[in-house]
Amino acid sequence: MRIVVFVKPVPEAETRLRPSADGARLDTDGVKWVLSGYDESAIEQALLLKEANAGSEVRAVTYGPSPRSEEVLRACLALGCTSAGWVEAPADLPPDVRLKVRALRQAAVRWPADLYLLGQQSLDTESGLLPLALAMALGVPGANGALDLAFDAARNELSFERSSEAGVEEWRLPSPSVIGLKQAKNDPRSAKLQNILKSRKMPIDRIPAVELPAAPEVTGNANRFRFELPPPRTGARLIEYAAPDEAAEKLVRVLREEAKVFP
Amino acid sequence: MPDFSLTEEQSSLREMARKFARTEMAPKAAECDRTPRFPEEVYRKAWELGLMNLNVPAEYGGSGLSALDQCLIVEELAYGCAGMTTSIIANCLALEPILLGGTEEQKRRFLPPFCAEYHLASFCLTEPAGGSDAGAISTRAKRHGDGYRLTGEKCFITNAPHASLYTVFATVDPELRHKGISAFVVPRSAPGVTPGKDEEKMGHRASSTSTVRFEEVEVPPSDRLGAEGDGFPIAMRTLDQTRTPIGALATGIAQAALDHAAAYSLKRHTFGKPISEHQAIQVKLADMATRVQASRLLTWSAAARIDRGEPGTLDSSIAKTFASDAAFAVADDAIQIHGGYGYMKEYPVEKLLRDAKLTQIYEGSNEIQRIVIARELLKRYA
Amino acid sequence: MSGPTLLLAETGPRGLQAASLETIGVARALAGEGPVVAVIFAGPSDTATAALAAAGADKVLCLRHPFLEEGRGAACAFVVAEIARELGVELLLVGGTPFGREVAGALATAWDALAATQVTEVRRTANGYSLKRPVFGGRASESLELAGPRVVLALRPNSFGGAPPTPRACAIEEHPVPTIPPALLPGTRVRVRPAESSAGPDLGTAPIVVAGGRGFKSPENFHLLEELAASLGAAAGASRAVTDAGWRPGSYQVGQTGRSVSPQLYIAVGISGAIQHLVGMMSSRVIVAINSDPNAPIFRVADYGIVGDLFAILPPLTKAIRTARGLPT
Repeated sequence: MRIVVFVKPVPEAETRLRPSADGARLDTDGVKWVLSGYDESAIEQALLLKEANAGSEVRAVTYGPSPRSEEVLRACLALGCTSAGWVEAPADLPPDVRLKVRALRQAAVRWPADLYLLGQQSLDTESGLLPLALAMALGVPGANGALDLAFDAARNELSFERSSEAGVEEWRLPSPSVIGLKQAKNDPRSAKLQNILKSRKMPIDRIPAVELPAAPEVTGNANRFRFELPPPRTGARLIEYAAPDEAAEKLVRVLREEAKVFP
Repeated sequence: MPDFSLTEEQSSLREMARKFARTEMAPKAAECDRTPRFPEEVYRKAWELGLMNLNVPAEYGGSGLSALDQCLIVEELAYGCAGMTTSIIANCLALEPILLGGTEEQKRRFLPPFCAEYHLASFCLTEPAGGSDAGAISTRAKRHGDGYRLTGEKCFITNAPHASLYTVFATVDPELRHKGISAFVVPRSAPGVTPGKDEEKMGHRASSTSTVRFEEVEVPPSDRLGAEGDGFPIAMRTLDQTRTPIGALATGIAQAALDHAAAYSLKRHTFGKPISEHQAIQVKLADMATRVQASRLLTWSAAARIDRGEPGTLDSSIAKTFASDAAFAVADDAIQIHGGYGYMKEYPVEKLLRDAKLTQIYEGSNEIQRIVIARELLKRYA
Repeated sequence: MSGPTLLLAETGPRGLQAASLETIGVARALAGEGPVVAVIFAGPSDTATAALAAAGADKVLCLRHPFLEEGRGAACAFVVAEIARELGVELLLVGGTPFGREVAGALATAWDALAATQVTEVRRTANGYSLKRPVFGGRASESLELAGPRVVLALRPNSFGGAPPTPRACAIEEHPVPTIPPALLPGTRVRVRPAESSAGPDLGTAPIVVAGGRGFKSPENFHLLEELAASLGAAAGASRAVTDAGWRPGSYQVGQTGRSVSPQLYIAVGISGAIQHLVGMMSSRVIVAINSDPNAPIFRVADYGIVGDLFAILPPLTKAIRTARGLPT
């Protein structure tokens, strides 16, 4: 089974978020770039499929600038991916999913797969648009929010669950498909020390930015003009009370009169 | 190294250890300290990820890291919990005598099982009657047929109740002092081996420490490391290798204390402003940061010297002594900055002081280290 | 503007989704006096269609096809794109549910549109639309300008309050289903297991959510949470510790690996507030925490807190709420 996992470098969770000087974007100075949690799950899922289907290959692919792209790809190799691909792209693509689709379609054409896997959304911009936008562009079936993926080689089918308003749905999609993953069966594994050392010596296949064709053009312009932090939460106002009854009544009163969210 | 920058490989090793320390160790540190508890699940995970047998060369299945790489990892682990780190690196200490004194056959026999499966080993040198005076070992290795029978008691042995293998130092004749000592590999399963009960310790409470009794334990000659009488130099060379990581361990404690204190000083207000704006606090923080940085660089420099194959005794003793004294002082300052809260177990800094204390004592007390430093130093003037 | 404002409604086991009703209000506000056309994959006489027609749309287009009714994002997007082209639509809105997110993604390609999800504020500008959306789990927000002939937006549930639009005369029409390309059709929805959720509204879109954590100590005690939820007409949720332990079904889980919620009111009971939980609820408008540990991180993100034993607090709280709402106690 050939699996391509698309991953995206995101600032590590502990990053102190700051707007840039022009107030339009995240200040990425000194930011450490890592795999996001959903991408870690996608890698875990791909490795589980690889272990369940002998002779499988897992290629991690990202797009973006250096060095963050290589850093996350090395992390994927250390986790057990068999190869890595990097589509060079500028750091600040406009917030238009079609531009990402264009970059990743290059990779999908160069490295055909039985499954194109992604995290269901990135942990920074959290748009969740990419899986279906990419599936439509590749002309293959797509689904997002999948849980616990399995591959039936005899029927060439992928099966998974996902939750919807209707309940828990069980799906089967023919391969190849594009799937956005919510969670694998396991918690994502950690890389072993020996594999981290080995991953440093593995090659990363690069698709230079110049190879990206200008066409097909997309219509319209998207532009991020502000990045801001919410006013800091100052911590809860604690309700003082002598007896539980008093706490209950005081809470009802503040929800109704002050917060105005009482139904 | 002269420019003190790390390679990408080293940065990624450090990153990995940092992540492990913060996600697997730190969240359990307070609980394991309080209970106390030996968190075997943490040690198993550390083993799975290759963090346990750092000094075992890759040809035997280990990580085969340089001394500097080991120090980078140990500092990060100690930041998460010094006690757990002591248990995680105990295998390095216990297996080093095999690396230094073992034949190729012995290395192939003893080392790969530790890399193929989770097993702990313990280094058995110290005895109740003589800690720092290693030449005064009284555990006897009586010749018996081709081999030996070991009888005696070792104490303060890290991981002893959980270990499956011991490297034991015993004498064929106490009269011979240093020259009578030999090193042996003894499996836990050998008849006559009895680890004692866990000791109640001041710090490093997530680690396990006990006595080990040997009563007429049969050891074949094939399990002796080196020639008869080689034990003392093997022990000393082992400690030369593992002393520098203790400096790194102390640096990790000190860095944690500094981080806690600095963050607290920004949050805590007195006299209408954060205490970080009071000069008395600033001076303390500056001294703490200076000590942390000096500890780290001394450790790196000692490790780099060892990695170049140069004699490391002087540098590693200096690094261990300075870093452990610094860790105690920095943890002390961190408590002082926290005031009354720092003395409370609810806050993490008092544990750091208790943990730091041991680094001044174990793997050669700082008094012994100073004797070593002075001796090495004076050789140059003689 | 040339064509009507189009919205895609979503139906579920409980009929028309609340998120779809909220979307009509926004469509109405953005359309001004222009027409608002709603697409629904249901029959003209279905209750969901009637609810949609009554909520302020000018026209409802009903399309029936089993694959559309299964909520297949790609097929639905293809059909909606065909209708949008036919009507000359410039702005298309969907509710910010998992279905809405899929459709918006597929429409970006199928309709060659600019797309954004999780939209919490939107206004018309000279060139297109200016909008705001939370990022980094609600730790920051970004403002985007989408300037183009076609824009699709998925709106974050419970983000657009305001009075419901005045009902207007509404035409309900059946619309033929365009031929769906075979590439979008393969795959089978094998079965659906109805969610083992509480009797209340859907967790993902409910305006009030009450969630319980490890503080409940055992599954038998969760009736206290369900009773509190019932008193408020709220959806009940839980922390990961609770669902992992099997005290509540997985469908209850709020957090990074469970549902993300952004209700008007979120009440966390016996939940300490691990970061993985916080990112799933932090952008709720008002957060109340009830916990016996005054140092629990949940109090740092909450607006109001009660430090106390939940077993002592919940029964009188449920009673006080029922009394205040005039419900039998």
